[in-house]
Amino acid sequence: MKDANKVIGTPVNRIDGIAKVTGKAPYSMDHPVKNPAYAILFKSTVAAGTIQAIDTAAAEKTQGVIAIITHKNAPKLNVKGGLRGGSLLQSPEIEFFGQHIGIVVAESFEQARYAARLVNVTYEAKEPKVDFDQLAKQARVPKDKEKADLKRGDVQTALSQATYKVEEVYETPIEHHHPMEPHATIAEWNGDRVTLYNSSQIVNGAQAATAATLNLKPEQVRIVSPYIGGGFGSKGGQWANLALAAVAAKHVNRPVKLALTRQQMVNSVGLRQHNRQKVSLAATADGKLTALAHETTTHCAINDEFIEPCGDCSKIMYDTPNSLITYRVVPMNLILPTYTRGPGKSTGSFALESAIDELAYKLKMDPIAFRIKNEPERDPSNGKSWSSRTTVQCLQEGAKAFGWENRKPEPRQNERGNYWIGYGVAAGTYPAHQRPTSALVKLKRIENRVMATVELAAADLGTGTYTILTQTAADALGLPVQDVKVKIGDSDLPPAAGAVGSVGAASYANAVNDACQKIIQELVDKSGKQFYVRPTAAQLMHSEKITDYQTRVDSKPLASSEEYSAHSFNANFAEVAVNKSTGMIRVNRFLAVTGAGTILNPKTARSQIIGGNVWGIGMALSEESVLDPRWGNFVTRSFADYHVPTNLDIGQLDAIFINEKDDHVNTLGVKGIGEVGIVAVAAAVANAVFNATGKRVRELPITPDKLL
Amino acid sequence: MRPFAYTRAKDAASAIKLLTENPNAKFLAGGTNLLDLMKEDVERPNALIDISGLGLSEIKTITTGANQGGISLGGLGKNTEAANHPLVRQQYPLLTQAILAGASGQIRNMATNGGNLLQRTRCPYFYEVSMPCNKRVPGSGCGAREGINRMHAIFGWSEQCVAVFPSDLAVALAALDAVITVRSANGQQRSIPIAEFYRLPGDEPQKDTNLPHGELITAIELPKNRFAEKSYYLKVRDRSSYAFALVSVAAALETEGNTIKQARIALGGVAHKPWRALKAEQMLVGKEATEANFKLAASAEMADAKPLAHNAFKVELGNRSIVLALQMALNGGKV
Ligand SMILES: Cc1cc2nc3c(=O)[nH]c(=O)nc-3n(C[C@H](O)[C@H](O)[C@H](O)COP(=O)(O)OP(=O)(O)OC[C@H]3O[C@@H](n4cnc5c(N)ncnc54)[C@H](O)[C@@H]3O)c2cc1C
Repeated sequence: MKDANKVIGTPVNRIDGIAKVTGKAPYSMDHPVKNPAYAILFKSTVAAGTIQAIDTAAAEKTQGVIAIITHKNAPKLNVKGGLRGGSLLQSPEIEFFGQHIGIVVAESFEQARYAARLVNVTYEAKEPKVDFDQLAKQARVPKDKEKADLKRGDVQTALSQATYKVEEVYETPIEHHHPMEPHATIAEWNGDRVTLYNSSQIVNGAQAATAATLNLKPEQVRIVSPYIGGGFGSKGGQWANLALAAVAAKHVNRPVKLALTRQQMVNSVGLRQHNRQKVSLAATADGKLTALAHETTTHCAINDEFIEPCGDCSKIMYDTPNSLITYRVVPMNLILPTYTRGPGKSTGSFALESAIDELAYKLKMDPIAFRIKNEPERDPSNGKSWSSRTTVQCLQEGAKAFGWENRKPEPRQNERGNYWIGYGVAAGTYPAHQRPTSALVKLKRIENRVMATVELAAADLGTGTYTILTQTAADALGLPVQDVKVKIGDSDLPPAAGAVGSVGAASYANAVNDACQKIIQELVDKSGKQFYVRPTAAQLMHSEKITDYQTRVDSKPLASSEEYSAHSFNANFAEVAVNKSTGMIRVNRFLAVTGAGTILNPKTARSQIIGGNVWGIGMALSEESVLDPRWGNFVTRSFADYHVPTNLDIGQLDAIFINEKDDHVNTLGVKGIGEVGIVAVAAAVANAVFNATGKRVRELPITPDKLL
Repeated sequence: MRPFAYTRAKDAASAIKLLTENPNAKFLAGGTNLLDLMKEDVERPNALIDISGLGLSEIKTITTGANQGGISLGGLGKNTEAANHPLVRQQYPLLTQAILAGASGQIRNMATNGGNLLQRTRCPYFYEVSMPCNKRVPGSGCGAREGINRMHAIFGWSEQCVAVFPSDLAVALAALDAVITVRSANGQQRSIPIAEFYRLPGDEPQKDTNLPHGELITAIELPKNRFAEKSYYLKVRDRSSYAFALVSVAAALETEGNTIKQARIALGGVAHKPWRALKAEQMLVGKEATEANFKLAASAEMADAKPLAHNAFKVELGNRSIVLALQMALNGGKV
């Protein structure tokens, strides 16, 4: 009976849905400010060298121009303040094509853009380092200690002794996040305090980094970000445009709106790096893995390093006595790579899970049976117990739901008209973490009604934070959802974790739950009464005749959570149809089976998963940012060239959640689903393409030309 | 955007006059291509003459002249209307398929037939003004010749330009021997066969077509034919919709028994203009409509291809696509 009253776990509609579809939800550029000026960034057209001269005379003379800011007149900023990617107008040095080299501020966006075209820049250009194929051999050991070589046993010997092995190189191209809302900021100064309307996945992080960059104290910077039009990692760490908006507003002494154009997005806010991954696997004839090596070569920026952890899945997915994970990296004249949905795991799982499929094929084993045979009892990387692990369940339940028994083990055995049909499977994982988060709960009694407001500097990427926090508070306070209001996305609220790395739901929901439990306890204590049935917030406020009450918690992960290895797990199933003549591929069906602990809201969770699946299908089939290796510019600068999937590319999508209760991971048993939805998607599709055609494509995306 | 003057034309004559008087003026139709290019600073007109209110959108049967019995599409008609008009669907399904294979629903609702024919290349070096491009700035060089040229030409390119023409509509029109009706400053109408409308880049890649500045496309005429039963537009691309062609094929057959009386094949995505596969067509006339003959014809045509560094696949893809499109045409759209 009691559970039937709970709203956690039910498909509550998105609280913010109506505001969004009616255009009432303000995104970064929509906040009303008085008399804004419009700024546009202009960018370098060489990838390496030094600016010799910037002639702004013609631009300054055009109508509406208020100011032009370049490295010559920009204020001194702290380049180590924590904003990513450089580009802060502090020197004439050019490190990548499209580096910001100036700002034009004008009365209108169009005037600013026109004036920016008239700025004449001369460079002393250097030969840029942008040809990854050329440079890969110069790759070095990373500075990042987490990317140090990880060795267990002796992979080389195991490989040399094995009859069944796979040693292949898998390539994933540069990708861009391209959220629907490009990065945009309104900066408004009030004395020595600046408010920045700027969609931010980590509200407090954006505040800290911007303040440090501008040489201000954190409390002098306020970030307002109630809604985020997608981010996928690119709005996690923040980039130069955020500070430059503040600089421009200060310079012209007016609020300034600074938006990036779609074309500018390719070299302003990070990217997913090109990964060259060598995976070596060895197994006994009966399918027991004896070696697993995952060696990644990639690139980073000239003066900064970021490497997505492609070897992470390989660390924990399979039981093997011999294992090796390495990274090598070469600096290039390209913007700093950054976190991109399923960082390392989405791309790394393409390599690992393709190789697993290749080896299963050589062993003539069903790829599901092969995976299950190598299921590790404990986390192989550290020997810890799993908080819970659902890989086998995901594979088995998925196989049943998908009709895996209809798969033909040999390629080119299943045809429908002019199409080869293929089935593919892949398994994946993403770590589950909770991060410190504070939350404030306020109760207010007006006549017969008690209303709650929950406040924290959390972020909603469009994923459902508002909704799940409303549900969490409603349950913990015993209030109907319509009496709970959630306020997030403002650095003036209690500090919270970011909506990154799938920590959002776990961190926020547990903090809100803690705060609500605490407020009930405080009210009970205040009443001095004994309750046999847990009272609701409303009952307590009424019986104690309180009109206003509030409490705050600083919530931390469970002390015991460190003892366990906690991850979400999934298994994905794809059915593809490949045109025999043209090589065009359509994903007819895709099924994601996910074990992610407590599912707070099955509707928003499903949307998260299928959204990740769609991007994973894009990764598999069409998405690629192409660099001109001579000049370092991207030739894919708009959605006409950067091919995200369309409706027609994707057939039926289904998501199943494993009914699991993980008591170790955190109080609510929430593991997070944002990232895992894209993990092992590309591999499932690529494996299906092999099953359809007999062609193993190891270089994404699998465009028609690769299947001819 | 650069500042520009905007005039809403009252009638065709004054629109043409305004354009003729100003070499830097442009007609504005649906704006789906021109405005994008202006925002990117690729096109820099100082005046726009808005012709979208001129009418000229009728679709009707031609009752006199050389193309009697065919149909005429207004130059300012919308792509969506052309694709869905019953006369087009029944008599020229190839055209319907080609139009619907292009762009997106929203764009086709805005895009006009004349504008579609005059859309500019999608070569990325043309689009980014900091790059060399002889089409955009004659004499500046070709960024794609030694650059990223996977999407580029395999037929008819020059050292000055390897761009391809992106229209799907035009490929079907090429196969159907359409005639473009234009009106010039002196008020005269002229008819330009589509084969003479487009050109190869040669030494003047800045010119996409042979249409002089100041002439207005008023209509597109489709001669009567017997292809409606057996035609097919195949578009091979990197995703299933909303992408430009890697290779496209407009194929149409007229058969007697299993013998081919007439064949029309035009290719898109392979050249600076819609590429009529005349060699392949000639090889098919009088032959049996068999896969073997389709293959022979296709390879004869594709033998002349000169691929660039990144697009050799288009030769094999062209071969296969011609064969598939002919099969699809022969079987009324099914394999
Ligand atoms: C993202 C995207 C994807 C697309 N994909 C495809 C595709 O797959 N296939 C495809 O075929 N097309 C595609 N298009 C192109 C689209 O079809 C064209 O933009 C459209 O047809 C242009 O028509 P318009 O009326 O908007 O022309 P405008 O942009 O108004 O004009 C284009 C040019 O034609 C001139 N012009 C227009 N009308 C006349 C006239 N009557 N007489 C003389 N000159 C005239 C103008 O001066 C201008 O130079 C795509 C476009 C976009 C933006």
